[in-house]
Amino acid sequence: MKKRLGVPLYNIGAVLIGLVISASLLLFLKLNPVEVISLAVKKIVSDGYTLGEILVKATPLIFTSLAFAFTYKANLFNIGAQGQFYAGAIVAIALSLALGNRVPQAVLLGIVLVCSFAAGALVGGLIGFAKSKFHANEFLVSMMSTYVVSALMDFLLRTSLQENKAEYLQTDAIAKSAYLPTILPGTRVHLGFLLALVTAVLVWVLLYKTPLGFRIRAVGYNHSAAELGGIRSGRIYVTAFLIAGGLAGMAGFTEVNGVQHMLLQNFNTSIGSFGIGIAILANGNPIGCIFASILFGFLNVMGTTMGRLPGLNIPASIIDLIEGVVMICVIMSYFVRKAAETRSEKQRLKKAGVK
Amino acid sequence: MVNLLTRAIMMSTPLLLGALAEVYTERTGMMICAIEGIFLIGAWGGFVGTYLTGSLIIGLLAAILCGMVMAALYGIVTVYMKQQQVVTGTALNILAAGICAFFQRVLFGVPTTPLQIATLPKIAIPLLSKIPVLGPIFFQQNILTYLAYVLIPVAIFVLYKTSLGLTLRSTGENPEAVDVAGLNVNRIRFLTVLVAGAIGGLAGSFYTVGYLGMFTSGIIGGRGWIAFAICFLGNWNPKGVVFGTLAFGLADAVAIYIQAVSGHTIFPNELIIALPYILTIVLTIARSNLSVPAKLGVPYAKEN
Repeated sequence: MKKRLGVPLYNIGAVLIGLVISASLLLFLKLNPVEVISLAVKKIVSDGYTLGEILVKATPLIFTSLAFAFTYKANLFNIGAQGQFYAGAIVAIALSLALGNRVPQAVLLGIVLVCSFAAGALVGGLIGFAKSKFHANEFLVSMMSTYVVSALMDFLLRTSLQENKAEYLQTDAIAKSAYLPTILPGTRVHLGFLLALVTAVLVWVLLYKTPLGFRIRAVGYNHSAAELGGIRSGRIYVTAFLIAGGLAGMAGFTEVNGVQHMLLQNFNTSIGSFGIGIAILANGNPIGCIFASILFGFLNVMGTTMGRLPGLNIPASIIDLIEGVVMICVIMSYFVRKAAETRSEKQRLKKAGVK
Repeated sequence: MVNLLTRAIMMSTPLLLGALAEVYTERTGMMICAIEGIFLIGAWGGFVGTYLTGSLIIGLLAAILCGMVMAALYGIVTVYMKQQQVVTGTALNILAAGICAFFQRVLFGVPTTPLQIATLPKIAIPLLSKIPVLGPIFFQQNILTYLAYVLIPVAIFVLYKTSLGLTLRSTGENPEAVDVAGLNVNRIRFLTVLVAGAIGGLAGSFYTVGYLGMFTSGIIGGRGWIAFAICFLGNWNPKGVVFGTLAFGLADAVAIYIQAVSGHTIFPNELIIALPYILTIVLTIARSNLSVPAKLGVPYAKEN
């Protein structure tokens, strides 16, 4: 049998095509794309801090992409990672403010980690519950939940969590002892990145090496067949959403305790939707999510760097353009791959028929 | 209070247009998850068209065109390439944000003062606008609002009383039957998406051409998704959409009103803003007789 080209190869090809298309748009600004990009890359590589920013930006994306990928394996759409992230962030900031300087760092971080996971899981679990108990459309409920949680966050930022100066809609900064420690000197890369890597591996193990993961994937392939096989799909819905919500909640923990050290209005508004794109880029594979998140982290830093190149006048929002084009190319590549597979399959059948 | 309601009706216009477009496509089995991006690119197209030519009509046409281009891309990937609608929509929303910001820079550089265009004039309808209270609220609006008024009965009539409407609804419920009847399911879906793109683009242009007179990248700020939610809240029914839009419009107006009256108090204003979303969730959970189209979000593949 002929060796089939794997998904990664198609994905990498699609990413490259996407990069070329979006980079050539620089011609509209009467700039030489090759020059600009090599200049930007040189700048990023020559500066350890900026290089580290790639991993800083990738960290929450790993969590939110896992949050989408996890339910995706059960053929469920968790569009609400943004809200689950906010839920985690609210709990993380509240606990860090309350416990800062009162308990040892390791204990504090442990408590905050568990509680922000629980907060995200609560929001996610409710969505899964609505799905399993009332057959509600999980796509819609998860999307609406984001707005509800974000309204709750705005309310808290205006009232009980607001900074002591009561000037802006933001909290006070947390105590140094509540910071996630930096792991690479000279950068902002924090322990949360390692946590994200470990989590992704654990999610992979859970999905592919445990009975629960098998059940989740079975429900995803064909939930009626899974039911006949004795799997209660309703329970799987709740479990999958609980875990996915918790994963997104952990992003709240790493962003608050590792990067921002406070919570403010309109905090990281797009990591939920980028998570979806990354999960698709990785074809729902948890390990793939790591690499795809780092790629997006890189593109993100690239966009900012290009925006700061003196005299060239490139908008930093070019990052959205690049990421959008890359995502569309990857989505189309799934179609191309399917078509190619079908064609080779047909040819194989024809040959067999001639024999 | 009258001012407040006038504003509520005005701000409801794009939501109503967007939600009607969404109802039509979802009835054929297509969710337009790119609606946020279509709104945004419509807002941008309307602004650029008006700014460059000085003509509001060309601006509106440009908005329609931009919306249709975005919708065509969405349609090609979801209808013909049969890819996930949610995912494609997410990608296009991000792409739209990038395109608008990037080409805004290409066209205008970094202007020292914000670029401004004239907005659509308010047209007072003779006689009707003289009715006390109701007149100023409903009949001193701009042309897009009147278009929305006209589209409501037209949308209801076409969807339920014409053979076109029947075809559209069948495409979402039972595409095989439509196929057997000799109609091209994918073409119906694609064309509906295109029309929805045109209306969505027009709805988006309301924010620039009809209201603010300028473009910022955050101008839509999730309102496309609100139109998307209203479609669900309105039970995939143009009549329901009118009530859904009023619920969102009123909540918005009341929240602003309370904030203006009470200043910064402990009163949970945000709850009122969140209320329509909570209502949507509750209705999704509580109603078992939702008329959600059977094949919503499912690509159609002909068996052969």
